[in-house]
Amino acid sequence: MDFELTQEQKTIRDTAAQFVKHELEPIAAELDQTKNREKLKGILKKLADLGFMGLNVDRKYGGTAAGTVAFSLAMTELGRACASTTVTTSVTNMVAEVIQVVGSEPLREKYIPSLCNGEFAAGGFALTEAGAGSDPAAMRMSAVLDGDHWVLNGQKLFISSAEFAGVFVVWAVSDKEARKGKGISCFLVEPSFPGLRIGKEEKKLGQLASPTNELICDNCLVPKENLLGVPNDGFRIAAAELAGGRIGIGSMSLGIGLAAMDFARDYVKEQARLDLPAFRRRGADRMLADNTTRLAGARFLLLRAAFLKDQKTFYAKEASMAKVYATEAANQACHDAMEILGDYGYTQDCPVERFYRDVRVTSIYEGTSEIQRLIIARELLR
Amino acid sequence: MLKVITCFKWVIDEADVKVDASSRRLILDRVGYKISLYDRNAIEEAALLQEKHGASIVAVTVAPPTAKQCLKDALSRGADKACFVNDPSLVDLEPTQTAALLAAAIKGQGDFDLILCGEGSSDLYTQQVGPILAEKLGIPCGTYVNKLTVIEGEKRVIAERKLDDCVEIVSIQLPALVTVLPDINTPRIPTLKQVLAAGKKPVDNITLDKLESPSEPGLETTSILGATMERRRLKFGAEAENIRAAVGALLKEGVIT
Repeated sequence: MDFELTQEQKTIRDTAAQFVKHELEPIAAELDQTKNREKLKGILKKLADLGFMGLNVDRKYGGTAAGTVAFSLAMTELGRACASTTVTTSVTNMVAEVIQVVGSEPLREKYIPSLCNGEFAAGGFALTEAGAGSDPAAMRMSAVLDGDHWVLNGQKLFISSAEFAGVFVVWAVSDKEARKGKGISCFLVEPSFPGLRIGKEEKKLGQLASPTNELICDNCLVPKENLLGVPNDGFRIAAAELAGGRIGIGSMSLGIGLAAMDFARDYVKEQARLDLPAFRRRGADRMLADNTTRLAGARFLLLRAAFLKDQKTFYAKEASMAKVYATEAANQACHDAMEILGDYGYTQDCPVERFYRDVRVTSIYEGTSEIQRLIIARELLR
Repeated sequence: MLKVITCFKWVIDEADVKVDASSRRLILDRVGYKISLYDRNAIEEAALLQEKHGASIVAVTVAPPTAKQCLKDALSRGADKACFVNDPSLVDLEPTQTAALLAAAIKGQGDFDLILCGEGSSDLYTQQVGPILAEKLGIPCGTYVNKLTVIEGEKRVIAERKLDDCVEIVSIQLPALVTVLPDINTPRIPTLKQVLAAGKKPVDNITLDKLESPSEPGLETTSILGATMERRRLKFGAEAENIRAAVGALLKEGVIT
């Protein structure tokens, strides 16, 4: 058993850490407070230029071909500074990856390079609908073939980066008669396609720098060739894709938790020098130790899920285990970091205030904790 | 095609240096290393020249073998080849020793047009290696350069030297050596592709038996101690007698006399 990362994986982790230190950390609070989308797009372009938008995508499509372990490490490093930037990067990576895995050669050539090189600011992943979040098979968006085009009608909800994504992966029911989940197809939709509209922007608790909108298809015309994979096979694609996405979100949440703990640790060290009362000190010690231990466990689960994915074996259970454990550990870490910091941690002068808001959604999106447990239990009882 | 050589130093990351509070000794057991900051500007300038005019870049360093990872860093920033003068004895060198080793290594690299160095290193900042190296190679040297233009076809460069009270613009015949200031450019973070490709680029390993060993050091370092800031944690109000107390405290500490 070898816990050592390859030189290449270390290099990617360190490059991400450098980027965080010099580019992302200095502006993360500003991105959150001002919601400056142009600045966010600027930072996304820089990440694309460095090669972070196609980490697990073939070089021939402009990817870095570094694998899932490297992807996980990179998301953790980026997550230490700015969750909004990281989630956008993670989703864009997943969109590029799903096109590579199930897309036809012309679709790959048409869309993946633009996602990897930053010509598209981001990729969009449009699965969730009102009433079809944890149960995506209950979706109602419809797709009807009419000559050379699929006509899409319906409304998607909570779509990250909808405002500036260059391409969306959109799921819709293409066979109404089929059993639930068996008649869903997957499409690549450009924002310029007739009938596609970006709806209202959500007002959120955290990850404020990343916009989240409705996506509305009103007789949206999608060229026939933009169907991704096989007709009516979309639900399987979504399930497979989400498992990979969970590694990204879990890894990001780990980064947020680590950043919160690092901040709290430095604060305790500083306070210890200034004679922190012993009773507070002991409470802080315990929280630092417990959280750091949980986060270390989360890292192992994430890297193992990523490793299994790279081995091309089944990894859905492991991805769910990693996601539920990492995101809950990270939520606890941010909670405890604020507890250690006291009033200061609750102010916007302290990054932990932002971490606390940003981390909350990680145990909700890309499958809630309860859904992860359902997946794990289903695999156990199979 | 322009042949550029950049010299760089692998230094302790100053952010990692801790100072022992009682003895003021520097605690170096958990430090990381990096390419000295201004040397990064030198490598970046070489990379910019490469993009603009086409150039081959050789990055040269003098270090103990343990510094091997510095090569990949330099190669990922644009160098085509690295030249690694290494021996376990090559630690805490003086500028004259470093310059002599660099000169010997550079002579072994054949013809060159331009040598770029950082103005000074992040650790000692003696600002001597560049000028001494130029002297040893018998070529002109431009220091404090914050803008560099290569005149194609004329084998010369125009360099803007930022001096204390003026900017001096000089034309230097190549081959020459230029030391750069941090204003000259902003070093880019290497892309993942560059970093991954760096591992496959050639490295010239030069051990001391191929060169003359460096001259004996001329300086003796007696001690290096950290600067410390002690907090007295005295608090004063704004009333008149408090101001008197504050002044008294400053007098007592010897801050004012």
